[in-house]
Parts: sequence; structure tokens; C-alpha cells
Amino acid sequence: MHTYIVTVTAADRVGIIHAVTGAISEQGGTIKELSQTVLRGYFTIILAVEFDGPRDPKGLREAVHTRGERFDLNVAVIPDEGRHVDPVPGGERFILTVLGQDRPGTIHRIAGSLARRGVNIVDLHARTEGPRFSLVMEAYLPPELGPAELRGELEQFGAELGMEVYLQHENIFLATNEPRPVRVGSARNPEGSDVVVPH
Amino acid sequence: MYRTEDVLATLGMVRQHKLDVRTVTMGIDLQSCAAPDVATLCDRVRHRLLHFAGRLREVCQEVQGRYGIPIVNRRIAVSPIASVAAGHDTEGLVAVARTLDATAAEVGVDLVGGFTAQVQKGWTEAEKRLIEALPVVLSTTRRVCSSVNVGTTAAGINMDAIALLGRVLVDTAERTRASDGFGCAKLVIFGNAPTDNPFMAGAFHGAGEPDCVINIGVSGPGVVKAAVEDLVRNAKVRPTLGEIAEEIKSTAFRVTRVGELIGREVASRLGVAFGIVDLSLAPTPQVGDSVGEILQAMGVERLGAPGSTAALALLNDAVKKGGSFASSSVGGLSGAFVAVSEDAALAQAVACGDLTLAKLEAMTAVCSVGLDMIAVPGDTDPETLAALIADEVAIGVINHKTTAVRIIPVPGKAAGERAVFGGLFGEMDILPIHAAGGSTAFVRHGGRIPAPLSSLRN
Repeated sequence: MHTYIVTVTAADRVGIIHAVTGAISEQGGTIKELSQTVLRGYFTIILAVEFDGPRDPKGLREAVHTRGERFDLNVAVIPDEGRHVDPVPGGERFILTVLGQDRPGTIHRIAGSLARRGVNIVDLHARTEGPRFSLVMEAYLPPELGPAELRGELEQFGAELGMEVYLQHENIFLATNEPRPVRVGSARNPEGSDVVVPH
Repeated sequence: MYRTEDVLATLGMVRQHKLDVRTVTMGIDLQSCAAPDVATLCDRVRHRLLHFAGRLREVCQEVQGRYGIPIVNRRIAVSPIASVAAGHDTEGLVAVARTLDATAAEVGVDLVGGFTAQVQKGWTEAEKRLIEALPVVLSTTRRVCSSVNVGTTAAGINMDAIALLGRVLVDTAERTRASDGFGCAKLVIFGNAPTDNPFMAGAFHGAGEPDCVINIGVSGPGVVKAAVEDLVRNAKVRPTLGEIAEEIKSTAFRVTRVGELIGREVASRLGVAFGIVDLSLAPTPQVGDSVGEILQAMGVERLGAPGSTAALALLNDAVKKGGSFASSSVGGLSGAFVAVSEDAALAQAVACGDLTLAKLEAMTAVCSVGLDMIAVPGDTDPETLAALIADEVAIGVINHKTTAVRIIPVPGKAAGERAVFGGLFGEMDILPIHAAGGSTAFVRHGGRIPAPLSSLRN
């Protein structure tokens, strides 16, 4: 099997997903994973598509673009060569929240301090509403980095920026927002230290 | 991907509304420590506490660090000492209490509960001795908490024990006169006591429990109050009481889940059983951390006014429903506490004359505890205190629920004067007891009030 990563960006309109998936289907591809969002009126999607034989990325890009011509799609296709490795092996997932006055460079500075500690950001959503800035980030902490230690650093960093910074383990949000049984340990690591505790 | 709104809602509970794990309480069975000589008994008690609770402080700190949820107190609840120390004299009982006190300090817990006797149907020699030893124990130890169960729906009410406890309260108060009778704040007198309650002063490790268990007391009056306030403020149309109950339920769900998460993690790290989460709205004297303020948010501006009981009933029931859905391991008391001196809004309502002892008694018929942290005049006679206990226990026994009494006769002070207990125990104006001394003969009859009928329930 041959996998390609397809990304598409365009001004949001009705029918884009229909066009993109239609092109993939015509080319004989199967979608293995997909994530899509709309930000300030702009649609963006990333897909992992599997084919039974090799494809020319350029041809694939052309096919998607042509099928969605009326949407003026920006399309990019790269082959998934299976070279990706887990950036934080054995890490646990935490939610980082930043709230405060909007100011330039906040995300850059926070991302920099996380990168220095080996923290891998896997999901990030930030927005400004008037002068208020909010950011919610999902990130993997390396096992050797204690959350209390990082929390202290980030709070101090936040204080310097005049912002509130909170680091909470994912389990807190799973417990409070999902009705399934409470889990302790690493909730997404069934082969690791995961403990699913039935009631 | 989490919705930003969900993340902020959960975060807000911790950040703004003082959600915390009020107590991680380790229950430890001490039955195997029984020994014919006191020194051996005390030595066994100490070693067993060290064995199970030696890492409690360290593990709680680890879990607090991992989750960023404050664990405010660590506590230990032990088997009723009246059974463990049966056969020993008063000096022996006091020695056990001092061992508990010292070992609690050694392992870094602030209170240890279980200096307890269960005498609802009658008392053994040991249980009577334990109750008689209470004034000495409560006035000479710092961390030891006591409870006495004097009634159950199945057995009735032991009025002899209640009469003795009236005298014990007066003696204990006198011995702790300098702190406004504070020794009495460490004694809870129960009807239908739960065996797995993690909250002090009434925690003990009851029959049917394993060797060691972790029980969690979660609180969150601030969280519930904020949820009700937001609902009322943001709704375009005034919300109905049914809608308010739904809001409390969903908030209770979230609070309970946090407690269960922390409890299971602590238990797992210590390698002991997880017991229950007790979601009780336990107030602290801090503004914003008050059960009274929840009732005010529901529209009962003057606490003690007609409607207070109905509002409290709604609150208590909604908390239980939300908690029950969140976890199958809900136990203990799980409801709303109306601990007067510990709740700034309730204490204020007493000070301005809105909230009376009679109204509090009515409210306790629908809440989860009873007459809790209530200062009464120091010259109240023992029989009147006993009668007050009997009334409260009767409410629990007849209604198949737990009730408890924690009253403090404040030596040298009269109704309207200020009693100050300090810290989380708060302060309040001393409440008068109406018609005090008017039921002495009733109490002096003694004996047992028979168990209530369980049929013809109308």
C-alpha cells in the first residue's frame, strides 16, 4: 500500500469536501484519516490517503485541483514514506490553556519554551476576541519532565507576559466531559501504563 | 480535539471557583492490633498506620502535581477504637488516642478519626469507657476526632448514651474554655452513621471495609454557586427551579468525576483499594465557598426565611443525582453541609437574626448532615444538650437518613456573643436555645427509644 498526505486550503464554500473526496475516489484512493476545520472563513483539510500502487503526487494534486476548480483550491500532496517517529515516546497528553491580553509573539514564545523542554504540540487552537486572547493546546510531555515543574515554569512565564497559563492533564477533561468510566494513568496508551478502571 | 468552551468550563471550576479535593482519607482497619497490654496495642497501632499511610503525603503531592488539583487535607480514619481497645481502662484508651495523635503527625495528616463507639442499641463496658474518656482525649490531643453513633433506624435511639454525651460536651467545653470550647468541634454524634464517610470529624473505618481503603471528599460550593449564578444571570427568561436543579446536577457530575479521578490515582499508586467519592458541599469560611450563598443564588436572599428548607432540599437532591450518575462509587454523606460557623453566609444569617436553631433543625431534615458547628450558650445544662441531640437523631432515625450533631457550648459566653474557632472552623454568634431546661425529665427517663415502624409510611 502507498500512502499520500493531501492538504487543501480554500475560501470556505459548500461542496469542497464533496469535490476533494470525489477526486480521491476517482483515483482509486481510500481515506485512512482526515482532519478538517474552518478558520476565519478559510477551509482547510488534511487527509492520509491510501492507494494500492504508487501515484505521481503532481498528478494527484492536479486531479484534486481540477475536480474542485470552482473553489480555487490550494492543494499539496506529499508521499508518506513511513519515516515519521513518535516525537515524544511514552509521553502523556496535557492541555495547556493561556488566557489574557492579546500581544504579539505570545504563541511563538510559549511554543519556544515548550520546544526547549521537548514538549510536542499536537493540537492547538487560539483566537482573539477584542483584546482577549485565548489558546488551548494539546501537547505531549516527555516522561522525564514532571508536570508540576513545567507548570511552575509556565506560570512564571505567564506572569512575565501578564497572562494566565494553566497546564492540566488530559484525564481531567476526559473525566469531566465524557460519561465513560474514569481512567487513571495515560488514557491513550493502551499498551503502556494505561489502567481502565470499570466502576 | 477538545472544545475550547469545555476546556474553559473545567478550568474555571479550579481557577475561579475553588474546586478542590477537600480530603483524601485513608481508612485503616485496626482490629488486628488488639492486645492485652496497652504498650503492645499502641505499638501495633503505630506500626500499622506507618505501614499503610507512610507514603500517603508523598503520593498525594505527586498526584496534586500531576493534575494541578489542590488536595487540601490528608486524613486517616481507623476502626472504632472502642472495639480495638476493648478491655482497657480509661488510661489505656487515652494512651491509644495519644498514639493516634502522634502517628498522625508523623505521617503528615491533619486529623485522624475513629475514636469512635457505636452504641445505638446498647453499650459495652469499653464503649461506655471510651465516651467517658472523651473530655480528656479531646482536650489533650490535637488531631484525634471522635464520633459516637447513638441511633439507627433498625435499632432505635440510645438515650442513656445521649444523656452521657450531654455531660461529656459540657466537660469537654470547660476543658477547652480558652478556645471557646473547641474540643467539642472534634466530636460528632450520629444517627445512622455511614461507615465510609471521609469528612471529619465523623470519619471512621466501619465494619465491612477492607484492610485499607482510599475515600475521597470533594467539595465545591463555589463551583455550584457560580453555575447557578451564571444560569440565572445569562438566561433570557427566569429559569425554573427544575432548570436550576439540572444545572446543579451537571455541575455535581463534573466535580464528582474529578474526585474519582484523584481517588483512583492515589489508591492505584499506593496499591490499596479505592473506596468511595463523597461529594459533599462542605463550606469554608472564605467568601464564595458557602452553601448559604448557593441558596442565595437560587433566590433565598435571607437565609432562614421560608423557602430555605425547600431550596436546600432541591440542592441536596440534585447534588446526589449528579454524583450518582458520575460514579458508581459514591458514598459517605454526599449532599450539602450546613456547618454554620464554617459557612460565612450562614454565620451572617445567624448574626442578623434570620437563621434560628429551630429553622436549622428543620433544614437538617432535608440535607446530608445535621446540626453542625453550632455554638450555643456555655451555661446550657447537659440535659438540654442531650435533648437537642435526641431531636436531631430522631429526624435521621425516622427518615432513614444520616443526621449528626456537632454543637459547642461556649464556656462563659451567652447568646449573641461571638464564638471564634479559627481557621476552617470559622466563627459565629452564639445561638440561643429556646425553652432550654424544659425537657430535663424526658432525658432523665433514659433507656432506648424503640426502632421506628418500617411499614404504614405516610
